[in-house]
Amino acid sequence: MSEQLVAQISEYLTPNVPIQLVSQGAEAVVFTTNVHPYLPKESYSGVEDAKFIIKYRPSKSYRHPSIDKSLTKRRTLGEARLLGKLHQIEGLHVPHLIACDAYNGCLWLEFLGENLPNGMGFSNLKNFLWMYAKGGNDPYDPIVLETLYKVGQEIGLLHWNDYCHGDLTSSNIILVREKPGSDTWVPHLIDFGLGSISNMVEDKGVDLYVLERAILSTHSSYAEKYNECLMNGFSSVYENNGKLGQKKLKEVINRFQEVRLRGRKRSMIG
Amino acid sequence: MTVFKFPQFQRYEISVSLFHNVSNTSDVKLKIAELPYALVDATMVCSIEQLYSAIYRAIVESTYNRLRTKTLHSECLLCLAPSSNIGEAFKRFGIKDESKEIIVIKIKDTEDDQDNDPEFPDIIKGDQVSFDDETLQATKNEELIRKVRIQTL
Ligand SMILES: Nc1ncnc2c1ncn2[C@@H]1O[C@H](COP(=O)(O)O)[C@@H](O)[C@H]1O
Repeated sequence: MSEQLVAQISEYLTPNVPIQLVSQGAEAVVFTTNVHPYLPKESYSGVEDAKFIIKYRPSKSYRHPSIDKSLTKRRTLGEARLLGKLHQIEGLHVPHLIACDAYNGCLWLEFLGENLPNGMGFSNLKNFLWMYAKGGNDPYDPIVLETLYKVGQEIGLLHWNDYCHGDLTSSNIILVREKPGSDTWVPHLIDFGLGSISNMVEDKGVDLYVLERAILSTHSSYAEKYNECLMNGFSSVYENNGKLGQKKLKEVINRFQEVRLRGRKRSMIG
Repeated sequence: MTVFKFPQFQRYEISVSLFHNVSNTSDVKLKIAELPYALVDATMVCSIEQLYSAIYRAIVESTYNRLRTKTLHSECLLCLAPSSNIGEAFKRFGIKDESKEIIVIKIKDTEDDQDNDPEFPDIIKGDQVSFDDETLQATKNEELIRKVRIQTL
């Protein structure tokens, strides 16, 4: 990561907020810190290595400064608002929004997940499936199938409430243990940087397609069963919503199949 | 009284006091415009987190953008509300004549020599109690907080 970028964020956060790099994407850099932006240290320091996420959108020197500022502000605020709304949907799991400084492109979020046992990496869906695909585990372990069903339910809830994710990969689904030590995992959706309010079946179809592709490309041997579990979970949310749910489910699934046939980009012809 | 600074904003020293059984609310209310404090109806606050996140936001706004109200103190009230309607924010989160539980916030700018008003707000006649989640939970008007906060989010 460029020194300039580190200098930018460190100056903004001051030496009182030490940070560690987690990931650098095209649009945002993600750090963890053990300092809460506004709660007193006593209120969380008892918790074993408390951690918070700082998602930072650095300024881009190739953009005109004022355009850069307003883009950063709009995207940061957009993601914050979306998270705020999603948090209120019962049964849906997204990180809790702690603070937002749109002027500096900074979001503070609840840290989710943990490191999987035996060095299998961070507990996102991708690594979780790897863990069961490797090393004497059963890739069709009931825990795996149940977790995929619950992932499907999360997406179903998101879509049923007319929100779309926009970048639904298996790394953007973080698994959190229901209780410490428990073998039950609660999937949480993260990274709503491309998310939106949308009632368009096209956006929903694309979300489902992107996730299906992600699973197909990294876990191809088991993908068919995995995607079936996902879709069962997804459908269950719609089916719980009566006739209207049934009708909308059919629309989404039809479009999903269309997208699958043609790829995620809509054809320019016809 | 709880006194602290936010890690990122060492410039501001924040003090928060919580009073119960306040007997002179209507007198205080008359002078409210001149007082260098934010006075919040404590029944509209259910946790430290709710109040502190609003103060944090007010400081972010004043540091990197601009205040939408006259002072950092009134900005805190605005930041407690989910919309940017100032009148609504004051009506909901500010003190009313009948308020008996009151939070007093003082944000002292340590870089401003004029701002030398660390005196404890003895204008409030009531019992000072500890500012913590447990005490706030005991007096919160949960129904109203939910209604007001969810409305326009
Ligand atoms: N709330 C969170 N809890 C834990 N890790 C996160 C969180 N948000 C982001 N990350 C990590 O940062 C990476 C990039 O985040 P994002 O830019 O939001 O996709 C993710 O793949 C995660 O590894």
